Amino acid sequence: MIGILRSLTQVVRVIGRKPVTIQYPEVHREIPNRDRAFPILLWDAPIDEPYCTGCHACERACPVECMTVVMKDNPKHATGESKRRKIIDEFWIDYGRCMRCNICVEVCNFEAIGMNNTWAGHELSRYDRKELVMDLDMLMSQSKAGKVDPGLRA
Amino acid sequence: MVTEQHDRSLEVVDIPINMGPQHPSTHGVFRMVLVLDGEVCKDVIPHIGYMHRGGEKLMEAMDFRQGIGYCDRTEYLAQFSAELGYVMAVERLMELEIPDRAEYIRVILTELNRLSSHFMFMGAFGIDAGVFATSFTYAFPQREYIQELFEEVTGDRLMYAYFRVGGLAWEVTDNFVQRVHEVLVHTRQGLRDLDELLTKNEIFMVRCQGIGAFTADQAIAYGLSGPMLRASGVPWDLRKDDPYSVYDRFTFEIPVGNHGDVYDRYLVRLEEMRQSVNIIEQALEQLPAEGPIVAEKLPRRLRTPPGEVYSKVEAPRGEWGVYLVSKGGDKPYRLKMRSPSFCNLSALREMCIGQFMADAVMILGSMDIVLCDVDR
Amino acid sequence: MMLLAAPAINIDNAFLSGILGLIAFTLVMTVGVMYATWYERKIVARMQYRLGPTRTGPFGLLQPIADTFKLLTKEDLRPATADFIAFEAAVFAIFIPALMVFVAVPFTADWYISAIPMSLLYILAVSGLSFIGFLLAGWGSDNKYALLGGMRAAAQLISYEIPMILALVAVVMVTSTLDVYQMILYQDTVPLIVWQPLAFGIFLIASVAEVERPPFDIPTGESEVAGGVFIEYSGIRWSMFQLSSYVNMYAFALLGAFVFLGGWEWPFGTDIGWGYQLLLTMVKMSFFIFFYLLIRATVPRLRVDQLMSYAWKVLIPLSLYQIVTNGFVIVYDLPDVAFLLFSGLGVAALVYSAAFIVKRGEPRRPLTMVPVRATAKAAPPAPAVAADVVVEGAAT
Repeated sequence: MIGILRSLTQVVRVIGRKPVTIQYPEVHREIPNRDRAFPILLWDAPIDEPYCTGCHACERACPVECMTVVMKDNPKHATGESKRRKIIDEFWIDYGRCMRCNICVEVCNFEAIGMNNTWAGHELSRYDRKELVMDLDMLMSQSKAGKVDPGLRA
Repeated sequence: MVTEQHDRSLEVVDIPINMGPQHPSTHGVFRMVLVLDGEVCKDVIPHIGYMHRGGEKLMEAMDFRQGIGYCDRTEYLAQFSAELGYVMAVERLMELEIPDRAEYIRVILTELNRLSSHFMFMGAFGIDAGVFATSFTYAFPQREYIQELFEEVTGDRLMYAYFRVGGLAWEVTDNFVQRVHEVLVHTRQGLRDLDELLTKNEIFMVRCQGIGAFTADQAIAYGLSGPMLRASGVPWDLRKDDPYSVYDRFTFEIPVGNHGDVYDRYLVRLEEMRQSVNIIEQALEQLPAEGPIVAEKLPRRLRTPPGEVYSKVEAPRGEWGVYLVSKGGDKPYRLKMRSPSFCNLSALREMCIGQFMADAVMILGSMDIVLCDVDR
Repeated sequence: MMLLAAPAINIDNAFLSGILGLIAFTLVMTVGVMYATWYERKIVARMQYRLGPTRTGPFGLLQPIADTFKLLTKEDLRPATADFIAFEAAVFAIFIPALMVFVAVPFTADWYISAIPMSLLYILAVSGLSFIGFLLAGWGSDNKYALLGGMRAAAQLISYEIPMILALVAVVMVTSTLDVYQMILYQDTVPLIVWQPLAFGIFLIASVAEVERPPFDIPTGESEVAGGVFIEYSGIRWSMFQLSSYVNMYAFALLGAFVFLGGWEWPFGTDIGWGYQLLLTMVKMSFFIFFYLLIRATVPRLRVDQLMSYAWKVLIPLSLYQIVTNGFVIVYDLPDVAFLLFSGLGVAALVYSAAFIVKRGEPRRPLTMVPVRATAKAAPPAPAVAADVVVEGAAT
């Protein structure tokens, strides 16, 4: 019973220590800069258009094939506002499928896609799986609003 | 049965009892049918495959970078070991020279991963033994510190995808060395706590000792590896016997059990954690302050020459091997994972027969299986 | 609560006053148990680096009420193949004896539902009935896990009844009364734990087994039989099982506080008023409850054969030893210190008893450490980094 008494003292000793619980919905743990949530598209604010040219590089590299990219001619190129000949027309990412491997970010030549590193990228519960298929507006809304963490690596 | 009742009234029957896949102590979707004579197991029929996702076949359709993510998802408690086995296979095929700094970081992270995996074992094993989650909550906060470090370095808490063919995906954080030292402080505390709580506890001892004992010959015959094998008295550790990466630069000890029972497996894991701390400290001392982290002349599109290779690493659960056949090109022609959980699980029946039902739970717990790794 | 039965309100009919007292007591006890779960969750959480319930009200104080509503409104399921009568009767066969124990418990000097001259005998007899309920539940559920749990429960309850009764018999020898009230009065100067530490130790261990709390929770062991006898019960029936389990816990804690710790008598005497007496009783009872919680959070579960052998090979011989030495002291009229002397020797045996069980069989050999020497030369060392990092909260 000596060993049991040792265990008991150990357990009693822990009562005095600080609990590690974080009151989650009220208190958000600080997440590191490199945190990889789900991919989002970035907004080129000076030119007022997305960085993405719809080149399909990420779509091809995606291991789970969760992306669908449609490209179009950039109307702003014609007017000379932008140097991008082509621009993204439609972009869907199925967040339910994405496995957050970071490969799309690595293959992107235009630094147009990045892994969301804010809590907005994690708290994505939905009642329906279909709602997890994000379209272009949803993917760009965070960047458009300027709420992207500066540490985001694209 | 009703019609024959009067004939069989004094007949003693064995009860087949279905344990899992939703039983609290089967560690995932594992199912075993125990044939019980009272409380004693007369036979154990394991059923696996609930988690089968065709991971090996999937990886044959992936190029070498895409496959790394699937390694994480196969062995989700020792992700770095799994990644290391896979990238080492490709590197050997491509005959790449890995820079020192990358190798050291790989060793540090893999050993930290071993710590976090064994913490998981300690917690879950305590619950199997019947400690009301106390071992779990002692192990998990400390495991969480390790996981937070991984998140800072790799960006993800669980599915790191950080080791790449030829090195690492990106440089570690600036304060990496200091952070590892901080994490080790917590780890040591967790080890002390668990040691105090369980090791000398008489009830824990009486529950563990002499149960599921395997001799060295039996263990080798069943192809056990890792702590299971070492607890049976075979000093076989790939870090010693077939040093990969930079493991030949560290001085450490390999704990070997003398009884081969559940208690020895627990002790071996506990001691292994102390040795891991030791290795990490040495690696931190030797870690080059700066240098490349990716092999030179690495092509943008990875293509291997035709050939086949088997690379193995000492994962927390045992020998994690990747057998890779390539016919050239950017995808494996055939990929086979030799997963330690699967091979260790094969000994379950032999170990459980003649033991009590409660011991079957302990034996399964002492194997520390990862069901994803078993079914792949 | 017991006001109804207290002398302040005179109800001449003893039966009626008993019934009313029991009803009032059941209601109070239900609330008491609800908050016992809260207390348990909070305390055990702090033993495990956690906070326990915090969401419902301040400090999660409304958690038991939320739990109760959840349990009451839950669908009450009965397996189609279950034996209707056994399944339904089991709940009551466990619940009623658990509450009937309190009929004979004197909470303070003049607060009790009924003064039974042989109340100790009554308490032990009634609390021993609950194993029938476990057998009924195990059999009636038509589930193999429940059957295993029921059989385990029956074997365990019967086995641990014996050392507990023997330990109390030893106490009865000292006090020469079977009335708990008289036993409390006997301890006006020195509580019996001083004279009979061995009996106290055996009672403590056996009472944990009787209320089926860890490490003796094999009938309900989560990791083995996944809830055991309760596996098919849900909603209100399940909560009645839990309720009776906690009520049992209270009952044994009270009994221990009365018989061994002096109840409301020691150390302030009989005349300090019911308020202080009740408080004193509660404090002493909490000692037991805290012990049950502590032991729950600490030790693993015993295996069924080890459980049995511990009762039959360790506890029963030791309690017989206690009885024999008590008889020796009483017959030869030795001073009271002799009780302590003999009993203390027994306690030493009890403390080492667990080690004795462990050490049978071949002696353990420690791990062999196989050294691995570095064979390759390390790269030039990095600039030294401070290794003695101080991390907040990682002291000790």
